Amino acid sequence: MTYDASVRKDSDGHAVASGPRPFWGRVANWGPYRAFAVFLTASPRRQFFILAAFPILWLLTQHLGPMLQMLRVSLIDAYPVAPGTPQEFTLDNYMRFFGDSIFWMPFFRTLTFAAVFTFCTLIITYPVAYFLARHVSRKNQMLFLLLLLIPFWVGEIVRTYAIMILLGNTGAVNLVLKWFGLIDRPIPFMYTSFSMGVGIVYLTALYMLLPLYSALEKLPQSMNEAAADLGAGAWTRFRRISLPLTIEGISSGCTLVFLISTGFYATPVLLGGPSTTVFAETIAGFFHVAGDEWPTGAAFAVIMFAAALVITGVFQKLMYMLRKGDTR
Amino acid sequence: MNNRVELNRGNRIFLACIYWAFVLYVFVPLILMIIMGFKDSKFIGFPIRSWTLDWYKGVFSDAEVLYTFGYSVAIAILSTLISVIVGTWIAVLLEGRKFWGRAVTFALMVLPALVPGIISAIAFRIYARWLGIEPGMGAIVWAHAVHNVPFVCLVVMARLSTLPKSQIEAARDLGADPLIAFMRITLPYLVPAILGSSIFCLLLSFDDFVRSFFLGGYEPTLPVLIFAMLRSGMSPEINAIATVALVLTAAVGIWAERFTRRTNKESQA
Repeated sequence: MTYDASVRKDSDGHAVASGPRPFWGRVANWGPYRAFAVFLTASPRRQFFILAAFPILWLLTQHLGPMLQMLRVSLIDAYPVAPGTPQEFTLDNYMRFFGDSIFWMPFFRTLTFAAVFTFCTLIITYPVAYFLARHVSRKNQMLFLLLLLIPFWVGEIVRTYAIMILLGNTGAVNLVLKWFGLIDRPIPFMYTSFSMGVGIVYLTALYMLLPLYSALEKLPQSMNEAAADLGAGAWTRFRRISLPLTIEGISSGCTLVFLISTGFYATPVLLGGPSTTVFAETIAGFFHVAGDEWPTGAAFAVIMFAAALVITGVFQKLMYMLRKGDTR
Repeated sequence: MNNRVELNRGNRIFLACIYWAFVLYVFVPLILMIIMGFKDSKFIGFPIRSWTLDWYKGVFSDAEVLYTFGYSVAIAILSTLISVIVGTWIAVLLEGRKFWGRAVTFALMVLPALVPGIISAIAFRIYARWLGIEPGMGAIVWAHAVHNVPFVCLVVMARLSTLPKSQIEAARDLGADPLIAFMRITLPYLVPAILGSSIFCLLLSFDDFVRSFFLGGYEPTLPVLIFAMLRSGMSPEINAIATVALVLTAAVGIWAERFTRRTNKESQA
């Protein structure tokens, strides 16, 4: 088990005459380190536990902990918990959700918006991914993809602001429309579900594009050629070959984009109006005040997360069944 | 046969148009935003009659804005350090090892990346309060660190899966204990993945709004500052700040992309 550092060797294994002992050799033969290493590796079992202890602890306390604490807070009747008083568990916080349309309207609006925006993202990015994977030479693919990646390194707020400038009453779109004489006065794009949609598709497009691209890239070109030789037109080839074989990419892209777009807060605040209040704003409203409303906010967050998980779960199941059905 | 080629060409031109239209869609808003930062007027919008650099001069002489830049960068660096250490450790545990509960461990690992932004932010807010962490820099660093762990972990796991096992075995045969074998073989092999994912974490943290907003104290991070300024109205000053942030993040992103491409090529060669 000893790391023999007394003879120093170069990369070919020849002994090197002199010089100080290499760093790792000194470490390996240092008494306290030896004791430590022997302690760590006394048995494979102990070695595993020492390796696993910290990650497991981290995952439980840092990844699961916040979720569980949110669930707990959503179930207690008074918050912050006054010392000495027993806490009562209650479902009242969840009941508030059903009691008032100013709560469940934004909820259903958020889910509808997220679904519609996800679909729009899919429709917009599929041809782009298809073009990249099928019609661009291998050498240029990365360059073309990189070009699209650049704007996506820019933050959420900056990109939202960019959309505000694009769609404003004196913005570029209205300017161009006026130029061509299509309109006399500016169209108020901003603070509508349209501006919100443009913004959210802008922010999420990459998360759709990458799974689609990697699915399309794996698709063998020979299949398309064979189908073409057998007389299948472009649309048939797309419907019968590309689409079924990229369902996995579609399903993971849609899941990702749906989950992300339910969670946007700043974008709806900046791009949306009073008629497009989303559930994230409702939830956030409970956290602007000192704390007694937190349990309701937590309950609403739990409702939203559960709903998003159920929807994406059902969606993935459906896609899976579709895939199974197609290969038969 | 000719017919087929014709069809393909039609398709290709159509798809190319869509691609370039998409490129316009992702670039035009940012370009307009940059242009607006040079407009010599308080009002955002067209037409632009005269140009100025005053907004940029303002940004670089505004102590608060400069401080916010530094604050955001510091948060990004600290949280990335934590994410990288923890993420790599978890990756080493998960990759190529079978143990009871591995699937659950993996699911727990990716959880923070899948939770929608607002929910993740308030869950962290509630947990921080329960732990007694005051809103402020520490809370933001912690939330960013936890949120970014899955990204490091997935990238490092992917790299780790390509590590030739024979190298570790050779090191062990030559008498290195597992710890030394890890430090001298595994870790150097993981360096490209670790560097690549840490750049990604830096950008995620620097750009993050929702967690910084809910866990921040009185000092805003850069996205929170821009958000607050936007609430009180658009101004070319915001364009100048946003442009500086944009140039910074895009430059770091492009550099990182080139760097990872190069190191990947080298290790394949």
